[in-house]
Amino acid sequence: MRHVLAAPDFRDGFLEMLPACVGLIPFGLVCGVGAAAAGADFAAAMGMSAIIFSGAAQILASQLLAAGAPIAVVVLTCAVLGLRFLMYSAAMAPALSVLSARWQRTIAFLLTDQAFAASIRKFDAGRDPRRGALHFAGGGSALWATWQVDNAVGYFAGNVIPASWSLDFTVPLCFLALLAPALKSVPTIVAAAVAGVAVLALEALPMRLNLVVAGVIGIVAGTFVETLRERWKAR
Amino acid sequence: MEGALKLWIVILAVGALNYASRLSFIAFFARRTMSPLLARALRYVPAAMLAALIVPMIITPAGGPLPLNPKIPAAIMAGVVAWHTKSSLKTMIAGMVALWILQAILARIG
Repeated sequence: MRHVLAAPDFRDGFLEMLPACVGLIPFGLVCGVGAAAAGADFAAAMGMSAIIFSGAAQILASQLLAAGAPIAVVVLTCAVLGLRFLMYSAAMAPALSVLSARWQRTIAFLLTDQAFAASIRKFDAGRDPRRGALHFAGGGSALWATWQVDNAVGYFAGNVIPASWSLDFTVPLCFLALLAPALKSVPTIVAAAVAGVAVLALEALPMRLNLVVAGVIGIVAGTFVETLRERWKAR
Repeated sequence: MEGALKLWIVILAVGALNYASRLSFIAFFARRTMSPLLARALRYVPAAMLAALIVPMIITPAGGPLPLNPKIPAAIMAGVVAWHTKSSLKTMIAGMVALWILQAILARIG
């Protein structure tokens, strides 16, 4: 443990991630506020941030629970949202294949959108994968540790800030900050637009199932459009 | 069911499923390659799911859509800032300031 923390690559990864950690402060605060609004006690709020460790899933779970959705729907909706980790996992797998199972399990736990985006290049061919792993673990640890602080502060702030500030609006703003920069290709825009329309069209579905159903419809639409475009180009 | 128990079941179930997704190809299917169709579909998970989450929060604030819903223009403004800056802090500031200004204007004229 100590030699890991003292390794230069771990330290570099940790320090290089700090600007991203600062950028995530508002998101973490909102997650804590959301947990408080959903009626979580402090232990459960910290359980969410420490164990789920995914802002979007934490907010989604808080909101669905506050809306009275059953456990199965909450878990299903969060699981579909979490499918993106399969993509990150597959992208990281070749570089990690030579590492020990313990390293693999550690890195998988710290695998988030931010850590993936920041560290995937560090696993480029020609580099020692152990150094890449240390770098990733450093960045992931910085994210995890600051995330817990953000969530804890947000949890207490949520009980103090007056409702007239419309702080609930920060939730869609957090998601917009993730979504808008991703809208770079036609199929992605189609996926988002179709899901956005479908979620309203399906509002009559019980137990807030419209979220997960609309999400799946959007995923299918994006995949379909990309396939169509590929066929079109091939002709 | 009691709220606290329900919450902890969700935490553990979502935590386990997320961890399984994170670990999937790193550990369980390390020797397999992902099918091209699955790889393609997964690329659209963030955009589709985020859009499905955002839209109801903006368009239907308790009581149905209003013709003068300040959240819609505020969200559009925030979306433009997000697209240009990729910064969650700037997106949040732009969106909240826009919302507060619009709410103040609506309160004046309403």
